[in-house]
Amino acid sequence: MDNRVYVIGRDSAPQYLRLEAGEALAMTLVFLPGTGGRYCLEVDLCGPGASLDLAGLYLCPADGQLDLRVLVRHAVGGCTSRQLFKGIVGGTASASFDGLIYVAPDAQKTEAYQENHALLLSETARAESRPQLEIYADDVQCSHGATTGYLNPDELFYLRSRGIPEDEARQLQMQAFLAPVARRLDEALAEEVYASLP
Amino acid sequence: MNNQVLLEIKGLHASVEGKEILKGVDLVIRRGEVHAVMGPNGAGKSTLGAVLAGRPTFEVTAGSVVYDGRDLLALSPEERSWAGLFLSFQYPVEIPGVSITNFMKAAVAARRKAQGRPELTPGEYLNLLKEKMALVQMKGEFARREVNVGFSGGEKKRNEVFQMAMLEPTLSILDETDSGLDVDALRIVAEGVNRLRTPETSAIVITHYQRLLDYIVPDVVHVLKEGRIVRTGGRELVDQIEQEGYESIHG
Repeated sequence: MDNRVYVIGRDSAPQYLRLEAGEALAMTLVFLPGTGGRYCLEVDLCGPGASLDLAGLYLCPADGQLDLRVLVRHAVGGCTSRQLFKGIVGGTASASFDGLIYVAPDAQKTEAYQENHALLLSETARAESRPQLEIYADDVQCSHGATTGYLNPDELFYLRSRGIPEDEARQLQMQAFLAPVARRLDEALAEEVYASLP
Repeated sequence: MNNQVLLEIKGLHASVEGKEILKGVDLVIRRGEVHAVMGPNGAGKSTLGAVLAGRPTFEVTAGSVVYDGRDLLALSPEERSWAGLFLSFQYPVEIPGVSITNFMKAAVAARRKAQGRPELTPGEYLNLLKEKMALVQMKGEFARREVNVGFSGGEKKRNEVFQMAMLEPTLSILDETDSGLDVDALRIVAEGVNRLRTPETSAIVITHYQRLLDYIVPDVVHVLKEGRIVRTGGRELVDQIEQEGYESIHG
């Protein structure tokens, strides 16, 4: 399956998508440092067998505010949607993620999953996650998960005890955190993402 | 054995969250020696290892540690590693997303840079990796796995000894390397450690049981109780502990 990658603010990214029967779309959104503002995406799954594989990576290492709003609407049954977002928020930056999964009445056999994980780099950074499920069918599999946390100090000490300098060890931890989304990017963009980490 | 002192610990006190764990440890280790530190649970054995490796959660409140002529306590964990100190963790940490290859590549590169040695070529690195993996009987796919993720207890400890082999330490601290190992894994781990022994390098083997010491034979045995070394002797101490327990050992 093709994976469409959009760097928000650089590429013209869609704000509305409609997937017809049997259509499959994989899409990855990248928010590099300094992007800021609000980005909204709506996806309608309109025909049976449509599938959406959506991932996103947002980097707000220093300051500014970023709002992400994603609405995935399962209008008919038998469709699948997966979302995985990963964010790094540091300095005085704040990031919020609103994700709504809507399953229409009688859209049975729907599978819809959403995850948003944020890594905080400072005490003053803020990350908010507002996952919502609105489900009007009874034979569905839906889940959402959200976590917010700091770099693991045990990992950091383990890496440093092997001689990896503290800064480099933190970089490695951040790269590992982003890896599930970053591996969907081509090498040049992945390098750009890693180089932009504090 | 050239008898030169490698590590000298004097009156070491250390606390965690205000609670004193080490209450005046004295210890001298010469090059070429293997020392066993034994003791009951909660005696401070793992704390001693962690303090020597520079774990930030412990605060050294008194005492000194001279390693190879340097003030060890003034060094960061990474500087201690570059100086040749290695801690094999009792509970090795999982690092999802980081492969063993990349983990060790970063470690080896940082160390060589700190020592002013040229970087290894990719071919040289690969050969080093293969050679050291063979030492702990690890297969090729091992290097591509994420660090300790989904590893069995035995695999985690073999991974520790593999890393030890990669970094060629001068002073190795093995913290409860025998815990959670079956006999086969224990033998592989012990053989790895023994093959890394040289007249120039030393080891501290921290253990609760005598089992590991059947395979890694210590020159000196210390008993740590309530934050102090209460007895130092030869291998006969191991037998005494085995027969009579730690209650029989007093300062």
